[in-house]
Amino acid sequence: MDIKISEVKLSEEQAGKWGLVIDQDICTGCQACVAACAMENNLSFVGEEDSGYGRSMHWIRIERFWEGEYPEVKMTPNQPMMCQQCGSAPCEPVCPVFATVHSEAEQLNLQVYNRCVGTRYCANNCPYQVRSFNWRDYERPEPLPNQLNPDVTVRRRGVMEKCTFCIQRIHQAQDQAKAEGREVVDGEFTTACAQACPASAIIFGRVDDPESLVSQLGRRSHGVKHLEELGTLPNVTYFKGG
Amino acid sequence: MSEKFSRRDFLKLAGVGAATTAVLTGCGPASRYVKREPYMQMPEYNYNGQSTYYATTCRECAAGCGLIVRTVQGRAIKTEGNVNNPLNLGKTCARGQATLHGLYNPDRVMDPLKRNSRGGESTEVMDWEAAIQVVADALKNNKPEEIAFLMGMAPDHLFDLATDFANATGINAPVRFGALGMFEARATLSKASENLFGEASLPFFDVGGAQVVFSFGANFLETWLSPVSYTRGFASLRESKTKQRGTFVQFESRMSQTGGKADEWIPLRPGSEALVALAIGRLASESRGGPMPRAFSSVDPLEAASKSGIKLETLEHLAEMFAGSNNALAIPGGAALGQSNGLAVAEAVLALNAISDNFGKPGGVYFSALAPNQAEYQGPASAKEMVELIQKMFDGKIKVLFVHGVNPLFELPTSLEFGGASKYVSQIISFATFPDETVREADYVFPDHHGLESWGYQRVTTGSAQPVLSGAQPVVSPYYNTRATADVLIAAAQLAGGIFAEALPFKDEVEFLQSKAASLMNAADGSISAADINTFMAYFQQHGGYWKLSDARGIPNAVDVLNRNFSAEEAQFEGEGEFFFVPFVSPTLAEAGANKPWLQELPDPTTTVMWNTWVEMNPETAHELGIENDDVVKIISEAGELEVPVYVYPAIRPDTIAMPFGQGHTAYGRYAEQRGVNPADLLGQHFNEAGDLAFAGMKVKIEKTGKKQPLSRLESMMGVYGIGLGEE
Repeated sequence: MDIKISEVKLSEEQAGKWGLVIDQDICTGCQACVAACAMENNLSFVGEEDSGYGRSMHWIRIERFWEGEYPEVKMTPNQPMMCQQCGSAPCEPVCPVFATVHSEAEQLNLQVYNRCVGTRYCANNCPYQVRSFNWRDYERPEPLPNQLNPDVTVRRRGVMEKCTFCIQRIHQAQDQAKAEGREVVDGEFTTACAQACPASAIIFGRVDDPESLVSQLGRRSHGVKHLEELGTLPNVTYFKGG
Repeated sequence: MSEKFSRRDFLKLAGVGAATTAVLTGCGPASRYVKREPYMQMPEYNYNGQSTYYATTCRECAAGCGLIVRTVQGRAIKTEGNVNNPLNLGKTCARGQATLHGLYNPDRVMDPLKRNSRGGESTEVMDWEAAIQVVADALKNNKPEEIAFLMGMAPDHLFDLATDFANATGINAPVRFGALGMFEARATLSKASENLFGEASLPFFDVGGAQVVFSFGANFLETWLSPVSYTRGFASLRESKTKQRGTFVQFESRMSQTGGKADEWIPLRPGSEALVALAIGRLASESRGGPMPRAFSSVDPLEAASKSGIKLETLEHLAEMFAGSNNALAIPGGAALGQSNGLAVAEAVLALNAISDNFGKPGGVYFSALAPNQAEYQGPASAKEMVELIQKMFDGKIKVLFVHGVNPLFELPTSLEFGGASKYVSQIISFATFPDETVREADYVFPDHHGLESWGYQRVTTGSAQPVLSGAQPVVSPYYNTRATADVLIAAAQLAGGIFAEALPFKDEVEFLQSKAASLMNAADGSISAADINTFMAYFQQHGGYWKLSDARGIPNAVDVLNRNFSAEEAQFEGEGEFFFVPFVSPTLAEAGANKPWLQELPDPTTTVMWNTWVEMNPETAHELGIENDDVVKIISEAGELEVPVYVYPAIRPDTIAMPFGQGHTAYGRYAEQRGVNPADLLGQHFNEAGDLAFAGMKVKIEKTGKKQPLSRLESMMGVYGIGLGEE
């Protein structure tokens, strides 16, 4: 066997396109992003019992941990956690039906609902635990469906789903820019979570454009990427704060 | 006059699409309703997949944040903040996002209803003519002094209409109440401001401009006064790009979501807040040198340390931090004010600000800017003022009670006996959008539109440097057979005739709004101006309201603050029992969010519990009592008792238990009913000197029940106190 090393594209070379920067020092844990995401992306609510089993459909969640014991107890900085849109995503190679694939155009990790057969391998393999599975067809009684966002597919039982970086908004902005014969301007649109955040702790933008706000912030020295040591190349940068 | 107006004309009047640069006018008040179009019949202006955006005002709390609602083919799809509104600058909280689940909730009141017997399930559907006749008869057939309005803290335009109506006809002046106002202790804040600075105003704390912030119980990142605005302030406090990162210290007995963000969290003994504030004042003054101000001269820091449970070294270190900064700010709020000495706490904490002399300066204390059409700050009724109303009801002095925008049977403590008093009121007419507890005890419900289907305005009482009047307009046509309460009152007044008709000489709600906005039309320094009222109203709707361009915050006159005497007395706690009881407003549900399924499914920011009520208990206490997570305990206060599962919470004093307010509905739709318990059932009739409820002024007992009720929580049980790790 003679594998030519030069032909194997090293994953480190894969550049991201869209990314988030999250400042945990100013995130107050208020859940506005979680609610905004649910409204934008037609997330089902699952009710008390199923949410107790860990089946709630949050595409973004706010983690907080405890340090120390009373009275020296501290809440760790709130940590909004969503799909990190890995450049080398562990969820992708395990899907037997190519339902979770990498987009060449957007450099995002896609979930193709009508391919998904519900093996849940991807959720098992996601080190960030950000994939949620439709265990049932969750009820959404009339007239609640009036609120559904027509730009986002409604998912059924047996399908995996996760944060898409609001790809419908990305496409809309790109279409708009194309129609006007220009490039998408940084800050022209943003994801639902970032738009709602009262503290502006979440910033979205092009990570491959060194001039964008998200790139400028991402260069700050105290930025970290979660579980970077796994080689996942996440596109979300966190500031631990303090 | 046609009620249906084509959507295109409505757009001309109200659209805020990016292309709408010139506003077309000429539409009179008749242009009322947008039509909901089926997807099959595309309105001609609408391209497939194109959205229309409307500016309006959020009504989930009384703060008055501006919204931009995305609509597609007559359906409201998404709310975003209005970037131009000076209060929220394009941001929203979780409740503002979930307001759509109120609009399209399956359990709204769909028609005007007559209830056959109070408390019963059986109702009859009425038509609106008959409903208006009922209101007109109620006005005509009773003496004006026997008629009363009980209203919520929003919307302001309806309150103004009811006030004008009452002034002209001799009806009781409308009383406003809301549980948020009660838990915020608004009356205490304005009373303290009056005592210290001579003006009963609502203070505004410029968190963003400060370097050191000491908050005594103020939950300003949750529901307190104007959470979106205060969260923005907090973010700029922490911003370290242009200045040194600000420090935040929270004093409270139970770590709130706000306290979780503190650099130092100080769990002091409930009731000792005034003492601690004055002790810090003394130590800080010592550290700064010079003569000791009279305000702090009599307090003994050693005594403060022993009574509050804070180490003297900690007090000294905090005092030095406060004294060492020229930009230190102290905020009183929340449970610290809901105690018997709440007013003294508010005054003592406000006095701390005199050390850094920050009054009217960036990073300091201001008076909130009054809204453009407001002459003076008007707070909602305190709990004590509600007792006066309830007493009048008991005495049979009130024959007709109109209720709008508030749910007293849920929001008021049971011990105030609103329910008992309502039996002495011959006729209760509710204008609620939702079948809440009060609707069930009312004879009639004449449902108002949802906030997103309504006209109106809301005054921004605090949170913005500029005076702001947030404007509301319908973003969708009414989904059910509801009618604007203002229209019902106007129509009923016309029907009743005489002084009633003279008091409300308007064709409809829109004409009333125009009459109120007319004075702003050419006022100086306004964000919009116009030569005629129709153009002005079009701009008003397009921009989501009207605001002044310059800072109008007041500067407190604090000349003598440090020469006053302050009371360092501790709070009195009522009831027998070993635990201090701290009820707090659920940061995600607040007072009226329990009917929205996605708010129920939001994890509580501190405990991550969803869909239920819990009681928080220190791990050590729980261990001593042999209580584990999810064990149901009975909490017994002097006013009542209830059963609730335990959440073992690592950040609460061992002598304190805490419970969120927001659940425990017996009515209010399928997502709220029979879910959790209401801590207001435990609260007794105790008030502070300003008349606010001493909701955190009780001691309670706990009994084990032997039952278990698992709480749904987002966090994994794995690793929580060793559960699942074999070391529990």
